[in-house]
Amino acid sequence: MEKGIYNWKVQLTFVITGVLVGILLTAQFRSAIPASSYPYDEYKIQEDLLKSYNDDQAVLKNKILNLRKEIDDKQKQSGASVQKNNLDVLEQLKQAIGLESTKGNGVVINLNDSPFAQRANTQGSDEFLVQAADLRDLVNLVFSAQADAVSINDQRVVASTPISSVGNTILVNNTHVLPPFTISVIGDKDLLLQRLNDPTALPDLEKRAKGQKIEYGFQPQANLVIPIYSGDFPLKYVQSVNAQP
Amino acid sequence: MKYKIKYRNLTIIITGILLGFLVVLQARSFSSVQSIARDSQANVFQEIQILKNTNENLSDEINDLEDQLAKASDQEQALKSIQDEIQKDKMIAGELDVNGPGIEVTVKNELAGIWFTDMINELWAAGAEAVSVNNVRLTNSTAGFDTLPNGQISLNGVILTAPYHFDAIGDKKTISEALSQPAGIIQRMKENIQNLDINIDQKDLIQMDKVL
Repeated sequence: MEKGIYNWKVQLTFVITGVLVGILLTAQFRSAIPASSYPYDEYKIQEDLLKSYNDDQAVLKNKILNLRKEIDDKQKQSGASVQKNNLDVLEQLKQAIGLESTKGNGVVINLNDSPFAQRANTQGSDEFLVQAADLRDLVNLVFSAQADAVSINDQRVVASTPISSVGNTILVNNTHVLPPFTISVIGDKDLLLQRLNDPTALPDLEKRAKGQKIEYGFQPQANLVIPIYSGDFPLKYVQSVNAQP
Repeated sequence: MKYKIKYRNLTIIITGILLGFLVVLQARSFSSVQSIARDSQANVFQEIQILKNTNENLSDEINDLEDQLAKASDQEQALKSIQDEIQKDKMIAGELDVNGPGIEVTVKNELAGIWFTDMINELWAAGAEAVSVNNVRLTNSTAGFDTLPNGQISLNGVILTAPYHFDAIGDKKTISEALSQPAGIIQRMKENIQNLDINIDQKDLIQMDKVL
């Protein structure tokens, strides 16, 4: 009789264990779609397409830079017909919106993924990878500390710059940027360092850096050069109130 | 008998280890989603779409610049070309009052600083041409939300208080859809902010004042 009860208990234990394992296995396999579910050739086509768009984008941005330079040169050669004060106003505006390269002193911020993390093989967010949100928070912080000019891996960051992620790919100005990330900031270095040294300013980033989950550091730097913005400023919907009939 | 007991114990131990392994694995998979949930996990097709749209916009910009170059090369049109460029750059720099169609997002809850950064980022990413928060225009000189020690949010020296109005001029349908898409900013805010009271209004005319 006692042996019967014992067997019954053991069987029940195994049944419950089996059910729990089953539930967990199901939950685990449903929690993420493995990349390997894509056939290799389809994956290759996607990669080629992405590369093609990225290559095209580099060519287009380069052409934009060259055209802006040509226009600038022509305007300066126009002489009296365009009036010097117009050129001065234009120069200041270009400086303000990122259409002139900027030189000066400031701070360089370095960020990198954990050496143990593999960006390409990680599905979804991973705290061992630098996130687009980390870059956004840092850019927001330095702008709130009155930065004059900012770039991420030589992509000029202007007010309208989106810093987003697609899976684990980070896009700045809709252009791929890869780790390690270098954020160059021209501005008052003392104010910038004071804000960056505030442990309450970026708690999540600080926590992951202290836990050695990502690499994060910053230092003052003299003679920084922030490149010109190479993207577009579409104005299809917005209009000046004064310009209306 | 002794052998049978050991075999059963071994089975239970292995099952326990397996179970523990799976519990930890599962818990980690959930916790990683919770800890860094601020960026949408868009797939490769959305990435292709983003790049395709960007390249089309860049091609449009090239056409505009080629027109501008032609005008700059013409003595008679050079002055007008520069004045047009000044007008455009002033709009971008926030030195002119502007208007246009767009959307207004209203949030009645108190918001942490990260949500301002993320919402503004989503608006620009969706193609907004001008953006303001509680009537403060976002430009290179005003960007940067500051969280004060008491938790208040400041932008360009102005303390922002709820309800928060995020205005964006641009293609109202495209911007609205981008915010509302699955795993978009609205969904992520709903997942992280209790009793979120948020509303998107598509408007034919949004007015934005210049930066003071």
